[in-house]
Amino acid sequence: MDALAPIYVKVLLHLRLPNPGPPVMRATSILKLLCATAAIVLCATPHVGAAEKKTLGFAVTKWNTAVYEGKFMDECPEGLNPSNKDIWWSKLNWEQRRKTPDILATQRSPWNFRGEHGEDVCVAPTSVKDPPLRIVKGGVSFGMNLDGNTDGAATAKTCKHENFTGVDGTAGVDNQMYRLFGCVYAWRSNGHIEQNANSHRLSSGLGMILIEISDVDDMRNDDHVDVTFYRGLDPFATDSAGHVLPFSSYRIDMENGKPRYGDKVAGKIVDGAIVTETGNVHLPFFGNYQYMNQEIRDLRLKLSIAPDGKTAKGDVGGYYSVEQIYRYVSGMLGAFPNTTQFSCPGIYVAAHELADGYPDAKTGECTMLSSAFKLEAVAAFINHPEAKPSQQAAR
Amino acid sequence: MISTKFKRAVLLAGLALGLAACGPKEPQTAGTPLGIRRLSEEQYRNVVADVFGTGIVVSGRFDPMIRTDGLLAVGAWNTSITPQGLVQYEEMARNIAAQVVSDANREVLIPCKPASAAAYDKVCAEQFFTKVGRLLYRRPMAAEEMTATLKITEAASDSLKNFYDGVGFGLARLLVSPDFLFVSDVAEADPKNAGTQRLNAFSKAARLSFFLWNSAPDDRLLQAAEKGDLYTAKGTEREVARMIASPRLKTGMRAFFSDMYGFDAFNVLEKDATIYPAFGQVAAQDAKEQTLRTITDLVLKQDGDYRDLFTTRKTYMTRPLGRVYEIRVTTPDGVWEPYEFPIESRRAGIQSQLSLLALNSHPGRSSPTLRGKAIRTYLLCQRVPDPPGDVDFSKFGDPDSPNKTARDRLTAHSTMPACAGCHKITDPIGLAMENFDGAGTFRTSEDGTPIDSSGDLDGVRYDDPVGLAKALHDSPAVAACVVNRLASYATGQPTAQSDKWVNFLREDFASNGYRVKNLLQRIATSDAFVAVPPPAAATSTKQASAQ
Repeated sequence: MDALAPIYVKVLLHLRLPNPGPPVMRATSILKLLCATAAIVLCATPHVGAAEKKTLGFAVTKWNTAVYEGKFMDECPEGLNPSNKDIWWSKLNWEQRRKTPDILATQRSPWNFRGEHGEDVCVAPTSVKDPPLRIVKGGVSFGMNLDGNTDGAATAKTCKHENFTGVDGTAGVDNQMYRLFGCVYAWRSNGHIEQNANSHRLSSGLGMILIEISDVDDMRNDDHVDVTFYRGLDPFATDSAGHVLPFSSYRIDMENGKPRYGDKVAGKIVDGAIVTETGNVHLPFFGNYQYMNQEIRDLRLKLSIAPDGKTAKGDVGGYYSVEQIYRYVSGMLGAFPNTTQFSCPGIYVAAHELADGYPDAKTGECTMLSSAFKLEAVAAFINHPEAKPSQQAAR
Repeated sequence: MISTKFKRAVLLAGLALGLAACGPKEPQTAGTPLGIRRLSEEQYRNVVADVFGTGIVVSGRFDPMIRTDGLLAVGAWNTSITPQGLVQYEEMARNIAAQVVSDANREVLIPCKPASAAAYDKVCAEQFFTKVGRLLYRRPMAAEEMTATLKITEAASDSLKNFYDGVGFGLARLLVSPDFLFVSDVAEADPKNAGTQRLNAFSKAARLSFFLWNSAPDDRLLQAAEKGDLYTAKGTEREVARMIASPRLKTGMRAFFSDMYGFDAFNVLEKDATIYPAFGQVAAQDAKEQTLRTITDLVLKQDGDYRDLFTTRKTYMTRPLGRVYEIRVTTPDGVWEPYEFPIESRRAGIQSQLSLLALNSHPGRSSPTLRGKAIRTYLLCQRVPDPPGDVDFSKFGDPDSPNKTARDRLTAHSTMPACAGCHKITDPIGLAMENFDGAGTFRTSEDGTPIDSSGDLDGVRYDDPVGLAKALHDSPAVAACVVNRLASYATGQPTAQSDKWVNFLREDFASNGYRVKNLLQRIATSDAFVAVPPPAAATSTKQASAQ
C-alpha cells in the first residue's frame, strides 16, 4: 500500500463540506466522500480523482522564532547578551554595590529605572545609551528568501541587509529577526521566552492559531488550495501528560458575525506539502502574559503533514513590525526582569538598525524585520458557526 | 400540578397495559423465595436524593456487590455488610443527617418548627420522623421504632441543647438501620387463597419501585400500598402505568442496563495513556453515558425495537468522545449533541461504541477474546468458561512473533487443545470488532497488516462489524437474553431460560415488537413478579432474622 494512504484516509475523515446545501445533498456528499475514502484505501492510488473538495484543519501547538544554533555557538562570537540587570550592576561602584540590599528594599527592579532621569529604560529605551546588542554574525540561518535576491541589496520594499545561507543551502535567506535575537539566551533553545509563551497558550487556549486548508482536490499535488488563519475559542484538549490531542473540535472566534481573524492566502500542494503564496496575515498571539494582534506581511507558509495525519510541522516566513516586536519585548520585561538576558535599549536600537523591510515613506528607514518561525500543529476540526451536527463527516 | 403531557403518558401506558392484558394467559409459577437484599450504592444515593433532595452530598465508600448469574442485582440478595462497611454507613449517615438539619436546609426539609431551637420538641420531631421514616423504611414506622427514635432524639437534644442536632442523631439512626439498608421481603397469608402466602403491600411497592425506578417507593406508591390498591390487579396496573410513564423510569433502566452490560467495570477501567492518549477518565465516563443515552433514547423515548440497539447508528456525542472517534463535534465541552454515524463508518449498534469496545479490551491493546466473551455473556446471556489456570500465553504475547494481527496471534494460540474450545465461541465474534483498537478508535490495519474483520455468530457469517450487528439483531438469543435478565432483575432471583414465566415473557416480548416498555409492564403486573412459594418453602423475613 502506498505509504501516503493513511494520510489520505485521515484527511478525508476530518474533512469539512465547503458549502452547506440541503440536508439530502449534504448526506449525498458525505456518502460520495466516504466512498472516495474507501476507494483510496483499497486501490492505494495517490490520486483522489473526481472526489469532492476537502478541507483540513490544524491547531497550532507551538510557535517559535526560528533560531539556528551552531555546534560551537560561533554565530555569536561576542557571546550571549548581558541583561538589564547585568548592565546596571556593571555600572555601579563598590560602595553602590554594597548598598544594593538597601536599594532593593525600597525599589523594585532598579535596573529597569536607570534612565537619565530615572526612566524605565524599557518604556523609554532612548533614555540611556547601553552597549550595542550582541547580534548574530554567522552566515547560516533558518528562513526563506523573502525579497527574491541573494545579495541583500535594497529593493522597493526592502533596505540593504546581509543575507544568510539557509540551513538547507538556500541562498539569500532573509532573517533579521534571527540576527536580532539569536544571541539572546532567552530566545535560544534552552531559553524560556518561547517555552513560556507556548506553555501559556497551551494551558489557557488563548491566542490559539487555527489553520484551515480548503478547496483541496488532491492531497499529493494540487495547484490551488486556500489557507485561512483563525483564532480558536476553545481551550486545547490535552491528554493526562499535557500533550495536545489531535482530532479535537475548535470553534473560531467571531465578532459581529464574522471571524475576528480570517486572513486567507492562496497556496498549492507540492509532493504532499502545503506551500502558500505570499499574503499579509494577522495572527493571534498570547504568551508571557501579553496579547498581540500580530501582523506578518508577505507571509508564506510551508506545512508538512505527518504520514498518520495527526500532526504537522511548518515554516513561516514574513516581515514582522519592529514596533510590534519591541512592544512585546519591553512588556515582558516587567514579568521576567531577571532572566530575560537582554537590555531593552540594546534591543530597541538593534531592531531599528537591522530592520530590512517596508521602508517608511518619509524617512526611508525600514520598519519591519524579515523573520522566520517554526510551528507545530495537530489535526483539528475547525467549527464554523454554521456547522451543524448533520454536516459532520466522520469515519 | 400534574402536566397534561404526563397525564397523556399515563393514559397511553394504561392503554398499552390493557391491550397487553388481552394476550396469552400467564402461566402459574411457584414464585420466588423471600429474601433480603442490600441497597446498592446507586439505590442508596437515589433514595437520599429522593427524600432529601439532590443537594445533599453522599460521600463514602460502599462495600462491593457480587455479580451473580450475570447481575449485581441478583448478587445483592446474597451480600452482607462488613464491619468496615458499617463504619462507612455510620459516617455517611451522620454526614447526611448533619446536612439535612443544617441552617441552610432545615427550613425546607423539616416540616415544622420546634417551640425552641434549643430544646427537644416531641411534636415536631415525631412529625419529621413520621414523614421521613416512612420513605426511608418504605413503610410506616412501627410504634416501638418511633419511640426508640424519639428517645435518641430527645437525649441528644437535651445533651447538645439543640433540637436540630438531636433530630440529626435520630435521623442518623434511621440511616444505619437494617430496615433502611436492606430491602426485606415480607410475606403474609393470602386471604383469597387459604394456605398460601403473598408479598405484603409494602414489599410489593418496594419491589416495583426498585425494579422500575431503582429507588424507594414514592409517597403515592406507599399510599397505594396503605390503601390496599396493590392487592388488586386494577390498582397495580394503575400504579405500574404511572411509574412507567414517569421520567424516573429512565433512572431505573439506566441502572438495569448498566448492570446487564457490566458497566460497573468502568469504575476500574484504565487505559495506557501512552498508547491511547485521548481515552482519559472523562472520555471513559462519556463513553458509558453515550451508550446509556443511546439505550434510553431507543427503548424508552422512541419506544423502539430492543434489537435495533445492535444496529442503530444514532447516538450522542461529546468532544472528549469525538477525539477518540476522531470526528467533528460542534457543541462545546460538556454538551451532548445527537449524532449519527455514517454508514461507511462501520459502526452500528452499541457493541461498536467506545463503552463496550474499550471496556472489553486490555489497557494497551484490543482483545477479540474479551470482546467475544462480553457479547456472549452480556448480550446473549451465555456462559463462557474461564481459561484454564495453566494456559500458555507465550505464543500470543510474543513481541517478536511474526503474527502481526490479533487474528494471526489467536490462530497460533488457539491451536492448543486446552484453549481451542473457548476461543471457538468467542473469537469469531471478537475478531469482527478488530477494526476498533483497544480504545475503540477505528483502524484498517494492525502493525501495518490489513485487518480481516470477518467472522460468524452461531453459523451466521459476516465480513465486518456491520455484519456482526445484523447477526446480533437477528439472533433470537439477544431478545431472549434481555427478557431473562429483566425477569431476574425484577425478582432478584436467577431465572432459567426454560422457566415457564420467562418463556411466556419472551413470547409476549416478540409479539409486542420487542418493546422494552411493554416488557416492563408485563413483568411488573404479572403474578409471578410477586408470587411467593407456599408457606413450607417460604421463610418470612422475621423468621429469617430470628434464625
